[in-house]
Amino acid sequence: MLKFLSGLNDMDTQNTDTPDITSNGGPICPRKVLVTGSSRGIGAAIALAFAKSGADVAINFSKQGGRSEEHAKNLAAEIESMGQKAILVPGDISQKDSVKKIFADAASALGGLDVLVLNAARAPFKPIERLLERELRALVDTNYIGNIFCVQEALPYLTSTTGHDKHIIFISSLGSRFYNQSYPLGSMKAAMEAVVRDLSETLKNIAVNAVSGGLVKTDSFKVLRQFIDGIERIPEKLFVMPEEIADVVLFLCSPASRGIRGQTIVVDRGLSNCLHRNA
Amino acid sequence: MRQALISDDMVIDELKKAAAETLAIDVATIKTDSSLVKDLGAESLDFLDINYRIEQTFSIKMARHFIIEHIEEMFGEGTAIDSDGRLTEKAVKLMRIRLDAAVEGSALEALKPGMDMDALPAMITIRSMAGSIMDILDTLPENCPECDKSAWKTDNDTRIVCRECGAEADYKNGDDLIKEWLQKTQDEHKIV
Repeated sequence: MLKFLSGLNDMDTQNTDTPDITSNGGPICPRKVLVTGSSRGIGAAIALAFAKSGADVAINFSKQGGRSEEHAKNLAAEIESMGQKAILVPGDISQKDSVKKIFADAASALGGLDVLVLNAARAPFKPIERLLERELRALVDTNYIGNIFCVQEALPYLTSTTGHDKHIIFISSLGSRFYNQSYPLGSMKAAMEAVVRDLSETLKNIAVNAVSGGLVKTDSFKVLRQFIDGIERIPEKLFVMPEEIADVVLFLCSPASRGIRGQTIVVDRGLSNCLHRNA
Repeated sequence: MRQALISDDMVIDELKKAAAETLAIDVATIKTDSSLVKDLGAESLDFLDINYRIEQTFSIKMARHFIIEHIEEMFGEGTAIDSDGRLTEKAVKLMRIRLDAAVEGSALEALKPGMDMDALPAMITIRSMAGSIMDILDTLPENCPECDKSAWKTDNDTRIVCRECGAEADYKNGDDLIKEWLQKTQDEHKIV
């Protein structure tokens, strides 16, 4: 018990430090960011938001030669037009060798790393009890093991002395807490939210948090609307824009969030507040 | 019955339109035998988007899962894809029967046991996908299930409704059709 309390005290001291302030009076913004799965959708919105705030960004996507690469190149061009550096670091996060290369290339091109955003995800859409062994293993390989590979490979580059300027942000979803038809990814999101809590305790000088998005109209929504009955009837005002999630990610990477550790912040326009809604 | 209301050409044209919108390309560049992956650059999410557009257009429900997934669900894991992610003989035999009319002969030659399963989506063409849509539309019943009259008409060219009671046509969904076809073909050919 004493050890437990002592640990808490350490963390409290760390979190109440006054953040560094830049010479122009604004908060220090992370400068070197890697976002996994960022060729489009939420990942792309996060990459763009960081670039707008003055960061250089490494854009990761899984498959080379397809439309993801095309999207990634367009995003990189947009970021470069803002005067920021953007590099492409393709690779499948479920493969350890691939992850090593992603981080070595990103850190080398950006000159280090301040923020890792774990956004990449891939999953079949079918009820859990019908998943084949191959699908089940792929689900865990990408969405759990792959994310932890990324954390492990990022750590050497995320060294910090202040504890305020290095961040890992995991992008979760409401599927971690609520049932969704044919959405086994939710169970992986729940596991990763637990990983976020663990890491926030063990990585004292890196702030680890998660952002859980509600219904977001990205490409993934094209999948959801085919598998979740009635999703089209949900009022438009309850749909979150990818930029709203990106804004919270940026907040969690700012000194203003220094007191937040190991938390999952829900960004769903209140969708999950009510059990029942009038149509 | 269905062809008198919605022609095969109309199905192909609507599919080309859906693919062009999803992939943001000029519809004129899409040929009936264009591979959605190889020639048009589609990815897995794009297929779902095209499916969605087609569902809205014809008021049907496309298959959510590929035939390979149905083979494994029906006959057991490993019956269609081996532990290295390659097609089994059984999967190839079944797919050859299914794709015989829908895919160009030269493309069908690539379908061999041991083929990488990731190479399969490249075999999907506008023609083969249109075939799946037509299969669903062909399940239009003779009579309206609501009023039992045989009075189908098209509404907005692509949606079939009952002239008598206004009910929308009720088709079988794509996944059920694949499962039915698989069971029937397996019973007929006894493929091992």
